[in-house]
Amino acid sequence: MNIGILDYNACNISSVYYSIYRLGYDPKIIKNSKELKDIDKLIIPGVGAAKNCIDYLNQNGLFNEIQKFLASQKPILGICMGFQIFATNLHEHGLSQGLGLIDAEIIPFKKTNLFNIGWQNVEINKKNKIFRYIENNNSFYFCHSHYLKFNNKKDEEECVGISKFGTLVPSLVIKENFMGMQFHPEKSQKNGSNLIKYFLNWSPK
Amino acid sequence: MSYLRIIPSLLISNGKLVKGINFKNFKNAGSPVTTVSALDSQKADEIFIVDTDCYNKKKLEPDYELLKKIAEINSTPITFGGGIKNLIMAKKAFSSGADKIFLNSIIFSDEEIIETIALQYGNQAVVAGMNIINKNGKYFLMEDNSKAINPIEYAKKLQKLGAGELKIIFVNLEGTKKGIDIDYSKKINESVNIPCIFEGGIGNLDQLDLFFKSGLTSVGLGSLITFSDNNIIKIKQHLLNKNFNVRI
Repeated sequence: MNIGILDYNACNISSVYYSIYRLGYDPKIIKNSKELKDIDKLIIPGVGAAKNCIDYLNQNGLFNEIQKFLASQKPILGICMGFQIFATNLHEHGLSQGLGLIDAEIIPFKKTNLFNIGWQNVEINKKNKIFRYIENNNSFYFCHSHYLKFNNKKDEEECVGISKFGTLVPSLVIKENFMGMQFHPEKSQKNGSNLIKYFLNWSPK
Repeated sequence: MSYLRIIPSLLISNGKLVKGINFKNFKNAGSPVTTVSALDSQKADEIFIVDTDCYNKKKLEPDYELLKKIAEINSTPITFGGGIKNLIMAKKAFSSGADKIFLNSIIFSDEEIIETIALQYGNQAVVAGMNIINKNGKYFLMEDNSKAINPIEYAKKLQKLGAGELKIIFVNLEGTKKGIDIDYSKKINESVNIPCIFEGGIGNLDQLDLFFKSGLTSVGLGSLITFSDNNIIKIKQHLLNKNFNVRI
């Protein structure tokens, strides 16, 4: 299995790379669309700013390549920023258009608490089969200033994992062949490593 | 609800862990990789690593190679700093194993550096530092030769400049185990809307209780971890027994 980690010229690339390497895999760091061709599972890391990230993906032809990868039904894991780009619109450093898989807006937290930095429990939706593999209310590490707000009730109800930071924060979303995490599994010690393992063994449907 | 954050603060020099008092008289304190590995398995909430050699002008850039070795074995969030002066250096840090970067004295000569890095990596990835000195009840910043800048105003300014988080060190208390300046910490914390990590002076578990009892949420620990028989498990178990919201 070829695992690719997309480098969009930001990212905590080493942290993500070694979190997978430690599980016994040899991931490849992907910098252009050509290198994506042999990849079976794609990971899009976090630590980035929305506008810069989306512009970079567009300018380097990666935006369309991710759309194609998504359409090919191969699994994708999006972490933090790499999760948020799958929403409809992102409102950080101006407005950017996302990949649109999830009907949602990425919006800032309220002025009183601008950044969610630290560990929080994630409540898992008991209807999803991931519930059998992941313990409920495990803690994960978050580091973000913007969060995902669904545009429709149905998606909101199907959201797999939710945490709280002043408001409800959708933290784990699974849709088709996409798995998105608002927290950083690569930096969430044993709990995070278990989720990465789950993704690497995951075959959507 | 967020857990309280216990953040070991490690200083490195020449690839080794060091610990000093009031930023002076550094002693060798062992291997950074082994120490981080232990802190990771004890469930530290984050780890701060600052290379002191750039401050002392022994080197021009911090030790990215050491950071890579740490990244190999570690799954705890790392904030890395010590001499990062521009976007290229920040990029090297992020691609070597940093999850956030720490900026301090450079902000005095280049205020825009925070936003420059934030535009690419996000504001949440930039931690701005303040070294506070208290002289006869008057507070000022160590880097401020004029001693005219009010640290509380400076904290607000750092937020405006785009910092996602502040790390405040009480220089006079650092390494002394005399306890942290809770009143002034609270003043800073209340003046901004971004998370603040406070460090300097906590030398026993009772002092840590007082800190968290005051409502503050994030603490940097040096001496209590590096040169004592305490470890993260023991510290968190103690806090849990006192009904504090810690992650074990």
